Amino acid sequence: MTFVDFFVGFCFLLGALSAVVVAFHPNILYAAVALVFSLLSVAGLYGALGADFLAAAQLIIYVGGIIVVILFAVMMSEDVYKNRGVGGWKGFFAPFIISVAVLWALLKLVNQANWPRIDVPVREHTVEAIGRALVGPYALVFQYVAIVLLAGLIGAVVIARPHYHEKSSGSNLE
Amino acid sequence: MSGLANNLNVYLSLAAIFFGLGLLTALTRKNSIGIFMGVELMLNGAGLNFVAFNAFLKDRSDGWLHGQVFSLFIIILAAIEAAVALAIVLRFFGSKQTIDPDVAVGLRG
Repeated sequence: MTFVDFFVGFCFLLGALSAVVVAFHPNILYAAVALVFSLLSVAGLYGALGADFLAAAQLIIYVGGIIVVILFAVMMSEDVYKNRGVGGWKGFFAPFIISVAVLWALLKLVNQANWPRIDVPVREHTVEAIGRALVGPYALVFQYVAIVLLAGLIGAVVIARPHYHEKSSGSNLE
Repeated sequence: MSGLANNLNVYLSLAAIFFGLGLLTALTRKNSIGIFMGVELMLNGAGLNFVAFNAFLKDRSDGWLHGQVFSLFIIILAAIEAAVALAIVLRFFGSKQTIDPDVAVGLRG
C-alpha cells in the first residue's frame, strides 16, 4: 500500500461521499460546497493518473471559476435555508429509479468488461505534449473552441444585460 | 491485485458514480443551480473516464494524449456553459424574482 494507493482511495471515498451529498442534501448551499470537494477529488485523480496539466486546469477552471459562479448564483435562490431542495417524494421516485438503473448498468459494465489495457499507467509530464497536440492534430478543434468561447461570452453578455427597450419606465433589475 | 492506483476499475467506478448521481441531481432538483450542478457532475464523470482510459491506453504509437485533450475540451466547454447558465439565471431572476424552474413556463404553448 503505497502513498499513491492511499491517495487514490482517499479521493475515491471523498468523491463518492460528496457526490451523494450533492445529490441528496436538501440545502442547495451545502450541495454546492460538497460539489467543491467532488471536483477536488477529480483533480486529485487526474494527478494520480499522470495528467498534471489537466489536474491544474481542473483546479483553476472548475474549483476556482465555475464554483464561484455557482456560489454566486446560489445567493439568488431565495429558499436556500428552506428544506425543499429535492422537491417532495412524489417527483423523486421515477428519477431515482432511472438513475439507479443507469448507475447499476455502468458499474456492471465496468466490473465485467475486459478492456485492452496495460497494467501500470504511464506517468510523465504532459504539458509539452498537450501543447504540441493543440497546435498539431487538434488545431482545428482548438480554433473552433475559441470561436465557441467568444460566441458564448458575447451571448452571455447579451442575455444578462437589462433590456431597456422593453420597458419605457425604469428597469426591473433594481 | 496491483494496488488501487494502478486499477482501472477504481477510476471507472467513480466516474460511473458521478454520472449516476449527477443524473439524479439534474432530474430531481427544484432549482436551476441544482440542475446545473448535476450537469457539472456528469461532465466530470465523462472527463474522468477519458483521462482514465488514456492513462491505461495500450497503443501508444501516435501522441497517446487524445483522452487528455478531449477532457481539456470538456473543461473549456463547461466553463462556457457556466457563463451562459449564469446569464440565463440572472435574466430569469431579474424578471421573475426566483430561479425555480417550475416558474419558467412562459414558452409553454
